[in-house]
Parts: sequence; C-alpha cells; structure tokens
Amino acid sequence: MYGKKRERVFLLMILPAFVGFFILFIVPTLMSFFYSLTNWSVYNADLDFVGLANYKQLFSDTKTMASISNTVKYAVLITIFQNIVAILLAVFLNKKMKGANFTKSLVFLPAVLSILVTGFLFQYIMSSSDFGLFNRIIQFFGGQPINWLGDADLALYSVLITQVWQWSGWSMVIYIANLKSIDSALYEAADIDGAGSVRKFFTVTLPLLYPAVSFNILMSLIGGMKVFDVIFAMTKGGPGYATETIMTTMIREGFNSGRNAYASALAVVFFIVVFILSRIVIIFLNRWERKIS
Amino acid sequence: MMRKKATTWLYRLGFVLISIVVGLPLYYLVVTTFKTPEEAALSPLGLPSSLNFANYERALEAMNYGNALKNNLVITVSAVILLVVFASMAAYVISRSQSKLFKTMYNIFLVGLIIPFQIAIVPLYQIISGLNLMNTHTGVILVSVFCINLPLSIFLLRGFISTVPVELEEAAFLDGCGTFKTFWLVIFPLLKPIISTVVILNALAIWNDFLTPLLFLQSPDKAVLLQEVYKNVGPFSTNWTSFFPMLVLSVLPLVVFYIMMQKRVIEGVVAGSVKG
Amino acid sequence: MKKKTLTLLISLVLTSLLLMACGGEDTSSDADTPSSDETNEEVITLRMMGYNPESSRAQYLAYLDEQLPNIKVEFEFVALDNFNNVLNSQLQAGEGPDIIEVGGEAKLLARANYLLDLTEYDFMSKYAASGTAPYSVDGSVYAAPLQSWFEGFFYNKAIFDEYGVEVPRSLDQLIAVSKELEAQGMTPQAMGAQSWEPMMKQSIGIVNNEFYSNEDNMAFNDQFNEGEAKLSEAWLPYVEEWYRLIEEGILKEEMLGLSYDQALDDFATGKAAMWQSGPWAIETIYEKNSDIELGMFPIPGVEEGPGWLIGGPGSALAINANSKHVDEALAVLELTATEEAQHKLVADNAGSSFLTGVEVDLGEVYADSEEAFKLGNVYAPWTASWFSGNPIVESYGKSLQEVLSGTKTVEEALQDADETNQTLIDTLN
Repeated sequence: MYGKKRERVFLLMILPAFVGFFILFIVPTLMSFFYSLTNWSVYNADLDFVGLANYKQLFSDTKTMASISNTVKYAVLITIFQNIVAILLAVFLNKKMKGANFTKSLVFLPAVLSILVTGFLFQYIMSSSDFGLFNRIIQFFGGQPINWLGDADLALYSVLITQVWQWSGWSMVIYIANLKSIDSALYEAADIDGAGSVRKFFTVTLPLLYPAVSFNILMSLIGGMKVFDVIFAMTKGGPGYATETIMTTMIREGFNSGRNAYASALAVVFFIVVFILSRIVIIFLNRWERKIS
Repeated sequence: MMRKKATTWLYRLGFVLISIVVGLPLYYLVVTTFKTPEEAALSPLGLPSSLNFANYERALEAMNYGNALKNNLVITVSAVILLVVFASMAAYVISRSQSKLFKTMYNIFLVGLIIPFQIAIVPLYQIISGLNLMNTHTGVILVSVFCINLPLSIFLLRGFISTVPVELEEAAFLDGCGTFKTFWLVIFPLLKPIISTVVILNALAIWNDFLTPLLFLQSPDKAVLLQEVYKNVGPFSTNWTSFFPMLVLSVLPLVVFYIMMQKRVIEGVVAGSVKG
Repeated sequence: MKKKTLTLLISLVLTSLLLMACGGEDTSSDADTPSSDETNEEVITLRMMGYNPESSRAQYLAYLDEQLPNIKVEFEFVALDNFNNVLNSQLQAGEGPDIIEVGGEAKLLARANYLLDLTEYDFMSKYAASGTAPYSVDGSVYAAPLQSWFEGFFYNKAIFDEYGVEVPRSLDQLIAVSKELEAQGMTPQAMGAQSWEPMMKQSIGIVNNEFYSNEDNMAFNDQFNEGEAKLSEAWLPYVEEWYRLIEEGILKEEMLGLSYDQALDDFATGKAAMWQSGPWAIETIYEKNSDIELGMFPIPGVEEGPGWLIGGPGSALAINANSKHVDEALAVLELTATEEAQHKLVADNAGSSFLTGVEVDLGEVYADSEEAFKLGNVYAPWTASWFSGNPIVESYGKSLQEVLSGTKTVEEALQDADETNQTLIDTLN
C-alpha cells in the first residue's frame, strides 16, 4: 500500500544522518587506512606509498607493542573489576531500606563528572608528596606510603582504581534494573529447596542477569580500549612507558613527532584489536546464553 | 526478630561504608577548595576553618567562567537537538522500511558503535578544516553529532521504534498524512521515553568530552570548561588549592543537573542498555 | 541491489571529496573578502600560539597592545605536552596561528615550508647569530629568538645555612652536600620526575660540562642529525656519571610519583633544599612562600668548576607562511626586535636577550651562576642543534624514568634515544 513515494521520503529522512556520518566518520576512517600505507607526515612535502613499512616499524617497536598490551590489559581488567564491583553493589543496594536509595545515588554520582577532572583529582590524592591523601591515610594507620603513580608496576592499576570508582555506579544501576525484573517466585522456589544466599546468587540471580552482564561487559571493554583522558590527566603515559596506551601512543608517537602515517597504522591496528576482542567476548557471551537457556 | 534487626544494622553499616569510600574523594575535593595551602597540607580531611570563597573568586576569573559555561551550553544543546532530530528520523526509516539500502546504511552506522572515532581523528582534522569549520562551535557540534554520538542514538531509537505498533501510522497514512508528517505528528510524540534517554546520554557525553574541543577549538573565547581547566594545569600551574575550585566549578553544572534530575538520569542510563 | 549500494557509496565519496575541495578554496576567498573591505581603522586580530602561558608573557603582550593599536594579538596557550599535536594538525590543514612560538621543531617546520623566511627583513639583523642559529636552515632564518631560557638548581639559602652546607661546585660535592642534608633529616632534592623532563635535563647538564664544553665535540651534533653518531657511544660515560645520583640514593623511585608542581610545592615550603628549574617558577615559589631566600647554581661537572646550565634560545617567534595577515605579523616581530620589547620579555621571565646591545641584569638570585653565564656555559643540544630534538629527548627522558625505577640501564636509555632519532630520520626524509 505504500508506494515509491514513501521510499523517496524515507531516503530524504535518513540522508542527513547518513551523509553526515559518512563524511565525518567513514571517509576519515578510510583515509586512515589509506595513509597507513604512505609516508604521510606534516614534515614531508611529498606523499609516497611505502607499503607495509609503517606496520613493520610498529610491530618491531617494543614501546608501541607495550602500549598495545597495556591497553588490552587495562580493558580486560576494568571490565572484570568494574562489573564485579557493580554486581556486588547492585545486589547489596537493591533493598527497600532507609539509606539504600541515597547510597545508590551517591555511587552513581562520579559517573557524571568528567574523566579529566577525576584524573586531576586523583593525581593529587595519589601523589607521593606529603599531601597525597591516600598515603596520609595509610600512614595514619601505621602503614608504609605507596608510590601509586610513580611505581611502574603499580601505576596502571592506580589509574584503573580511579576508573572503577568512577564507573561502577553506572553499571550498577543497569544491574539493579535487571534485578528488579527477576521474578521473586524464583527465589521462593530456591528457598524451598533450602538454598543459601550464596547459592541463590549463583543459581538464580547471575544467570538472569545475562542481558545486563553482556551489555555492561561490551561497554566497559570498548570504553577501556579507548582510555585516554584519565591517563592524560594522571600519568601522561609514565613512568617510562608503564601506562602508555594505544591512544596516548597514537598522539605522542604520531602527532607530536609528526609521524602521521605511523599513527594511522596504529589506528588500523587499534581497529583490529578492538574488533578481535569484542568478537571473542561476544562468542563467550553467546555460549553462556545457550548454556543458561 | 533479633536476627532481622541485626541484618538491618549490618546493611546500614554497609551503606555507610560504601558511601564513605565513594564520597571521600569528593568530600576531599570540596573541602580543599576552602582552605589555604598550609591548612590543606596540615589537615587534609578536616573541615575548613572558615568558608573562604577567595579561591573560587580567583578560579572564576582564571577560567573566564561565564563565557566557558555559555560555550559548553551552546555546544551541548545544539548537538543534542541535532542528534534527536537526525537520529530519530534515520531510526524510523531503518525500522520501517524493508529496503536493503537502508539496512546497509544501518549496518554502516553500527560500525561506529564498535569502532572508536579516535582512529579517524587526523583525517577528520583535514576534513573539518576543508569545510572551513575549524575553530568554530559548528565544527565541534558536527563532530560530536555525526562522528561520535550518532550511532548509539540511532541504535537506541531503532530498538524502541520497533516496539511501536505499525497500525498507528497506517491509520494516519489512510487519513492522508504524508510519511514525513506521520512521523513527526504520530510517531515522534510516542518516542518520549527513549528521547529522554538519548538526550541524557548524549548531554553527559558531549558536556564531558575533552578531546574534541581540544583539537577543534583554538580561540580562548570559544573554549569550553574543560579546556579552561586544562589551560590552568601543566608545568606552570600555581597553587593546588586554587586549582581544585576549578575542578569543582567545571563539574558543578552537571552535578546540579544530576541532583535535580536524578531519577530521569538513572532511568535514561538503564533504558540505554536494556531497550537496545 | 548490491551494485546500487556501491554506486551510492561511490557517489557519496565523490560528493564529500568535492565538498572538501570546494571548502578548501572557500577558506582563502572568504578570508580575503573581509580584509579587502576593511578600512585602516579596523583592528586586525592575530592569533599567536605559544607553549609558555600568557602570564609569562604578560608585560610583553601588554606592550604590543599599547604600541600596535590596529592589531589585536590573541594569545593562545597550549601546554607543551600537547603543543606539537595541536599545531601540526592545524598547519597540516592549512590553518594555524599567524604567529607561532617555536622551539626544537622549528627546523622541521621550516623545511616543510610552514614558516615564513625572515632572512631578508632588516629587524632580523639586530639579533646575535647565536640566537638565530637554532632557527636557521640552509642559511635562511625562520624565527626571531625571544629571551633565553635556562635551568639550574634552585636552592634554599636559609636551609643551606642552617645545615651548614655550601653550594656544590662539582658532582662529588653535590653528592656530599645531599648526603649531609639527608643525614640531618632534610630532603636534599625535590624532583617532579612524573614528568620525563627533569632527569633528562639534569643528565644533559653533566654532558654539557664534560662533553660540550669542548668545542670540538659540537661536530657530534651534525653527525647525530645524519644518524652517523650515537648518543649511546658519545654520551655514555657522562650520563654514567650522572647515574651516581641514583646509585647514591639521592634521586629516588618515589620521585616518579611527584608532578612538577608538587615538587615545586615541596621546595617552596622548605621541605626540600634543592629543586632544579628555571626563572619561570620564581613567581609561583614566592607566591607560596614569600620569605624564601632563593639562589641558583649551575649543574656541576665531575671536576670542580663553574658548571653549566641547561638552556639557550629556548623559543622564538615564527610567522606562519600561510598567514592571511603577514604584514601585521611582521609588524609584531619588528616591534619585538626593539630594546623596550626585549626588556618587557625579560621582566616577564628572566633570561638574557639576543638583541644586540641589550644588557640584562639578572639579579641576586642568580649570583652563583654568574660565572657560568659569563663563560657562556648555557646549552641545550636538542633545541639548539638537533633536527627533531623534542621526540628524541622525550624518549630519552621516559627511558630515564625506567632507569630510576631500576628496569633499564643508562646505556639502554641512550640507545632508546638513538633508536628514536633513527626512526625519525627514516620517516621524515
């Protein structure tokens, strides 16, 4: 009953979004792919094809490889920690009780702050100088000060802590909404079976949290891969290369040194890593879904 | 009965502990802004001896606060409006048409959901400049809309529109409404819940975006709040007690927004995950 | 159907490319129209982009404002860690500020034709050759040097008196003084090693003393630029000397958790006796502690001597070759090349001027460095002599952080810098 005319109107309705997206996302993305095969640089007058030279350099550069592995490590760890903390908080705070609502609101609050501001704040809190709040507290209880951001083995985890602090509330509210949709009859049935609360959590709650878990895991993973602002504010990739990530390396190696083509090659590698990681996670999530249904 | 009471108290204790862990950094941030450097170093967590707003006065001036706030508002509001208009139309077409063309377009949009826009940033710079939009709010708005936030908005809206029964528009169509009019008069009003989600998610993301303004806005009078904060750190920063007020001032608008609209914000975040 | 999609995609690409191309042309024509319409009274706005903050150029900028009523200089500060990124992307896009503060990368920018050749303009001849050399490529000069910068050890005179130690004039003495202070419970040196810069500069200070003090060794830089000489060979013994500061526990791993301003805070409030930095920090130090008695001594060498400072013609002003307001930008540089403007610059930020005939009295704080200044013992090879200095010292400095945390040796850090140099030579030529 709809004619050709409707399709034409449809085209006009979708076109603004598509053209905008095409020009500002697809075209520059393709250009990145193209430039990764050239010697493109601000400091070079001529553009020549160099084949896979940029990629060869990239894979033989231990510093860049370290930044890729840091990023993957960070993304995987933030996914795990943020979601574990969020699920525990959700289960704990999903109560009709005085104080529960206030606590929920407070836990979510850090998520509305900008990441940059959180980074700057924690850079001071974790400082190894006298006014570093964490160390003051540790020393007050008689402990040894910790070199949060200056210890190469620790810095990435310190950054990670701030982001777990900031984003667990976001994941938590999603888990809470999911919890609310679970039929209470299921718990009563489990009660009759004599299941303890820990067993109830693993046999009833967790499987039914599947929708929220899969969404949250994908989001934290992709968000973790893009990590930039917080590193920029807290460690600038240091000490040494301990907290360099793909994004900071892309900007440092590529832009600051004027090696734009190299940066483009890294962008392509970034694309591939994100793609592979999210594929792996989706496969696992699907397998889990089949198991519980 | 005794046992129930004990559990309640255990929960209460838990709430307090969680609140302390989450709230402490925020408390520290706020109290420090009223202190002198010596006071802050002496007792980092103590209450300030007096409510000293001098730090804020300096921060307001150093940040050119009024102007930066206005810039943030201009960018965020315009970008969100554009997103709602373009994304809802596109999502409608995608969920209603059987045409393969639109399905292909949808799949292309979805690429942007997974791929971080950062990989396109250098060429994007050339494009924005080629369109003569460098150092303009328009440029930042277009990048925020099309390059960064469009795919998620379309994805969310499409999911919601699929649940709206087709019968409604068929009736309107029979009444002689054109497709375009049908969408805006019949369908769009029904999208209120998901639009509020799209507005909230995008407003948070665009307001807090640092990289885009940093790259595309250069004139000081066009700078947004985070750029003003950033301008005041770095190797030459002065007292941290005068820096903290800047952090507070830069997040204050969103915190106020959150406190007032708390339920809406949380509903929005949730809808953003489940409805998709 | 598939084919149709493809056709659409291709046509979209073409449209967008066309749009970009047209847009590019628009830029120039749009910008030309208003300027030709403008009457002479209209104020031209010039963009000046710098990595030193506006506050450190306050008097100079006010002076420009006062002397050039038709030109409004809009100063744009971009912190150094992001400066090249922002600048390069703008230049590459054919945009960018009219006047650019350039440092180490000036030669690269000039070779890529982004900077206006200033050789022919009269005002450039008023600068000493040592000031323009870092900004010269093949005999052409591309930037006008601002006042010099330098960095040495600030020390708290009251603390030195109280603990009975003297200003060190050799590395051994520096170590001895540090140990003495440490033994009495005073932190000898504050260092914001979260940034890669302080260790990089301090170690090069020793290299200045031991290597560059010999004129013959200056030739090393040219070979290094060509990739024919290596830091890990030429510099190694001297950086090993500096490494003693780590071995002796004077530079500690904890310092990696301290930022520049946190270290400044420790020094200013008397928690540490020494801190390596430059004149730009003085105002902030006094702001935090107006009673502090400051002095600065140069980085000492192995043998007792006057020592060397890190520094040189740190930055300079260049004109964007694609600027739409070249004449106005030139007017600014011409005014900068006057004695009055130079005095304003130095008043903002202590240093010496490269303008012939301008004498600057640095004052009491720098008395301990006077001898070094007189001998011209101020040098920073990466800005003065290297092609892509900044990325090289960045990779060197970051590797030194790893040296401090015990995961790399000095030799490996120097090799990292060599590697970066080689990569840049390979990619940028």
